[in-house]
Amino acid sequence: MSESTANIPDTLKGGHQTGEKPVILEAKEASKTYENASQKIAALQPINLQVREGEFVVFFGPSGCGKSTLLNLIAGFETPTTGEIALEGKPILKPGPDRLMLFQEHALFPWLNVMDNVIYGLKRHRKYRFKRKLRRQRARDLLKMVHLEEFEKASIHELSGGMKQRVALARALAPDPKVLLVDEPFPALDALVRAKLYAELQEILVSTHKTILSVTHDPHEAACLGDRVLVFTGRPGKIKTEIQVDLPRPRDINDPKVAEFAVRIMAELETEKKP
Amino acid sequence: MKRTNGTPSRVYVIGFYVLLFAVWQSLYSSGAIQEFLLPSPFQVAQSLWDIGQRGLLWPAIKATMVRMVIGFSVAAMIGLVIGLLMGMSRIVNSCLKSLFLGLQTLPTAAWVPVSLLIFGLKDAGIYFVIVMSAMPAVAIATSDGILQIPPMYIRAAKTLGTSPIAMPLTVILPAALPSIVTGIKLGWTLGWHGAVSAELIKSTVGLGYLLSYGRELNDAAQVIGIMMVTIMVGLLLDRFVFGLIQKRIRRRWGLEAGD
Repeated sequence: MSESTANIPDTLKGGHQTGEKPVILEAKEASKTYENASQKIAALQPINLQVREGEFVVFFGPSGCGKSTLLNLIAGFETPTTGEIALEGKPILKPGPDRLMLFQEHALFPWLNVMDNVIYGLKRHRKYRFKRKLRRQRARDLLKMVHLEEFEKASIHELSGGMKQRVALARALAPDPKVLLVDEPFPALDALVRAKLYAELQEILVSTHKTILSVTHDPHEAACLGDRVLVFTGRPGKIKTEIQVDLPRPRDINDPKVAEFAVRIMAELETEKKP
Repeated sequence: MKRTNGTPSRVYVIGFYVLLFAVWQSLYSSGAIQEFLLPSPFQVAQSLWDIGQRGLLWPAIKATMVRMVIGFSVAAMIGLVIGLLMGMSRIVNSCLKSLFLGLQTLPTAAWVPVSLLIFGLKDAGIYFVIVMSAMPAVAIATSDGILQIPPMYIRAAKTLGTSPIAMPLTVILPAALPSIVTGIKLGWTLGWHGAVSAELIKSTVGLGYLLSYGRELNDAAQVIGIMMVTIMVGLLLDRFVFGLIQKRIRRRWGLEAGD
């Protein structure tokens, strides 16, 4: 795409720009068909996909296009009907802490306070299982990162929607997953809170070089967050095309350049509708 | 929790009870119902005071409560375990659900004859009635609660590395807690029915015993007085122990709007 990225510091570049990063996640001819008594429904046609370490890939498309199905396959909640998806060469068979997900509804445990929610995954992590102090320290650092260090003892129901998603982000990052999966966690939030969360998510992306896969039906969100946007079309779901977003980070969702990409992403869907 | 209509509604409630006692008193004063059938509120209060003075009232409340605490704890434990099995296995659930729903429709007093056959007049029979009365409600509420857990909690727990063995205690039971507490509240009420019913026939101490003793003496004032005490104890526990716990949990679990 554009060549205007030369003056951006390495740390702010998206993963795909440093081409030598290894492939961390790979889908080979992975498809998903749901079957019930009367019919078969193809949710996802066989797709191939390679994600490099540190990349932020957005699955964009209308509802029913298979983007969430693909995310669930990667998370291991479901298994592909054909083909396979592998993380660092090992096929994904079940959910695990190397692929943590940020859910649509925060999915925080209401019976635990903020701190204990973040610690929950650490208690089950081989590195932290027997190290109580280390667990608390790490949870505290993460809460600080999402600017909620003063709320460690708060109950979940006392937090606002945006704060809940930030705790969920801290909980998902705590066990240091190889891939962070993001399932449209922002639609329920108001525009101001969303813009702030976008900024935070990018800040975290830049500082941790996390590989992130995110699902959205908002073209602006896709353009603002993704290094690469995969445009899905339905039914059955398939990847229609792929758009590289060569913009420096952090990006502002209200930046006209982001809007330009959003228009391009949206245009891909529009052309699909016309025969 | 502060509702704007809180104070007026309380005034109405107090007014209602004043009216209720006024109607009761006037029924008595008019002589429409014979005195040995319907004593006046003051005679009932006098009778309760006398029972208290003779040192019978408090030990009776205590005896029934102790039986309830022990019997209900056993019932709740059994109900929780069975409910957990029902919630986690569709086969167990389909087998036991209809049985337990059936048991729940059985009037709690119907357990008393069986308990007499098995245990005779031993105290164990009262515990048996409490357990059989309370346990199905706890089991059903627990399994229902588990079946209604939002799938995202289970998914989140799995991705966070929860093992299948750790799942029941760390996620399933806590996530189902609002429903479990509802079952415990209902189970306690049913157990309370069972306890008093069983005491009517096979005990020498307890609220149920004082009721049947009052009947033997043809003392309507004592019978009505003990009924009122039984209602009051039940109501206090329901409102101020189980009700408050339930409210707190429902709010914390995001099922009820907070204040």
